[in-house]
Amino acid sequence: MARRRKGIEHEDLDLIPIMNMVSILIPFLLLAAQFVHLAVIDSTLPAIGPPQEVEEQDEDDKPPLQLSVAITRQGITVAGADAVLNPEGAEGAPEGEDEGPTIPCKDGSCATVDQYDLDELIRLLHMIKDEYPDDENVILVPDGKVSYEVIVRVMDATREDPAKPNPDGSARLLFPFVVIAGGAM
Amino acid sequence: MALKKKARRTKDEGLNITSMMDMFTIILVFLLKSYSTQDISIAASSDLEIPSSTSNKEPELAVNLVVTKSQVVVDGVPVLDLTQIPDDDNPGQELASIPEDEKKGQMITRLYDRLLEKAEAAKALGEATGSAEHEFKGRILLQCDKTLPFTVVREVMYTAGQAQFGEFKFVVYKQDG
Repeated sequence: MARRRKGIEHEDLDLIPIMNMVSILIPFLLLAAQFVHLAVIDSTLPAIGPPQEVEEQDEDDKPPLQLSVAITRQGITVAGADAVLNPEGAEGAPEGEDEGPTIPCKDGSCATVDQYDLDELIRLLHMIKDEYPDDENVILVPDGKVSYEVIVRVMDATREDPAKPNPDGSARLLFPFVVIAGGAM
Repeated sequence: MALKKKARRTKDEGLNITSMMDMFTIILVFLLKSYSTQDISIAASSDLEIPSSTSNKEPELAVNLVVTKSQVVVDGVPVLDLTQIPDDDNPGQELASIPEDEKKGQMITRLYDRLLEKAEAAKALGEATGSAEHEFKGRILLQCDKTLPFTVVREVMYTAGQAQFGEFKFVVYKQDG
């Protein structure tokens, strides 16, 4: 009887090999672990070359949009080709005048990134997208002193809007193809 | 009898590693979860703060062009240093800029030479292997500090464009996740 009890007592799991394995695995996984996740934003150079043949206009006869978004330290100006962008509803500035930016900064000047009114930009882009559902290109024209972070934020805003998803749950694409133009010197 | 009892007691006093095993299991699961095999990595430093973005496009391997607050680096090799010029609009603050004597017009000559070498090497590799995977497509990964003014980014982009790199991929932090 006593002998049998002693036998049970010795049936301890031998954890040493597992410990060995774990202590090798942990340094390895620590090295391979990634705590920040990276992504990329695609952009291309504006095509240089002879002007391309203008495509025949489609049946509903809409002029091409050629949306451009200029970023300065005073705010963001949204423009299209030849005043295409003055549909009723978009509170466009009076035509022909050299008005300020379409979307001025929240406090007059944009010292920090958060002072750019990106929500308003997204709202405006939604209206433009409703009008031109097939257009996907946008040209960014940043001023030379605008910081890189602002440009990335504006690219985010023009690309898609996760706040207003499609019926299937994916973010609504606005103008995903971004071209960065030279901008004002 | 006494001796026997003592021997048994010593045996029972083995190191109790159960709690350590618990801890290791949790750490192992956590590390396995954050395990990733992304193609690119960034060298974290106070000189290079990458902006964050909502984009979720996976990065892919390409020539790596890094513009920090103080220098331009191509594939890990420093190419030139930036200077600081005073910011006209905000007195007292400074903006990074490319030194004038490094530039020809908008093109940064030393960077152009280095990038052209990279482009030629990539093309030679593409021809030698003949595979679509290694074909030169003019892709370039741009890691820029978020405080850089657009002038610097534009000149770097222009130079890369002249050196046959036309497909820019701006590297950003993924915001969620």
